Amino acid sequence: MNQALRHKLIEVTGDTLEKLAFIFAFPAETPPAMDSQRSETVRVNFTGPVCGGVELSLPAGALPELALNMLGAEEGESFDTEQQHDALKELANVICGNLLPTLAGDAAEFSLCPPLMVSGDSALIEPKEGNPTESTSEATGYLMLEAGACRVRLTWDPPASRGPEGLPAGGGHLECRGKCHDQGAGGR
Amino acid sequence: MAVNILIVDDSKVMRSMIQKSMQMSGLHIGEVHHAANGQEGLEALNRHWIDLVITDINMPVMTGEEMIGQMHERTDLRAIPTIVISTEGSLTRIERLQRMGLRFVHKPFSPETIRDTVRDVLGNEVFHEPGA
Repeated sequence: MNQALRHKLIEVTGDTLEKLAFIFAFPAETPPAMDSQRSETVRVNFTGPVCGGVELSLPAGALPELALNMLGAEEGESFDTEQQHDALKELANVICGNLLPTLAGDAAEFSLCPPLMVSGDSALIEPKEGNPTESTSEATGYLMLEAGACRVRLTWDPPASRGPEGLPAGGGHLECRGKCHDQGAGGR
Repeated sequence: MAVNILIVDDSKVMRSMIQKSMQMSGLHIGEVHHAANGQEGLEALNRHWIDLVITDINMPVMTGEEMIGQMHERTDLRAIPTIVISTEGSLTRIERLQRMGLRFVHKPFSPETIRDTVRDVLGNEVFHEPGA
């Protein structure tokens, strides 16, 4: 069971929300209901010793505060949807970068792809029913914000060998280096 | 002395956050130039007098590491103080950059961390208040 990874997801997400956006979040003991109509989801793919992605879903109602706090508004200033999405993308980018040493050790070098907004029903496909956090290639954590539930999901290609607790063993045993080919963009 | 700054990051939000942190730090700021990747960063370095470069690593088109590599190949650019601000977690990559004489700040950062790092790199004399 990737309990340690789930805890790391929650820890990194909570810490980043607090330090980057001054938004406080608390771990959710049980997976809360996520509403795709009222959530915004962004995905950051990565390549390196392990390939995968981090998907972050926040309640749409939290985005104005996120942008406001990250960008620091002047009096009377507000931010449009694009600016709010940019703030969410940067938040996901920082979370992803801080999670990667957990996957492959702090010697491994990764490339992060530009964050992408994920729309439609695919954005909030829930993890396997009854086994939301135990997949060997996926871990999901939930936090509660004032505006609603936040979900962060890490997926990765299963490597050939594994370390303790089902995590990929440290080092570059599974190279998947390359550009962000499925996004048509360079490495981020 | 006012400091001309080049901020290189593919996130406009992050460039704004870094600029605001610099403005809050008490640094004497002259011109501030923005670039969205290493290629744009090099173009800005060719066009403007820059006293301090602040750059991310992971960017499309040209990474910060590639830009720094090209700066170090040029006698007119290699001495420009450079601070890397990134989510980078690879000690291998961080140590490689530090061996090139660069300072590294980890995201998420606090304005105080930015201020202290700039002070270490440029000295107290570029700040409004001594020890700021």
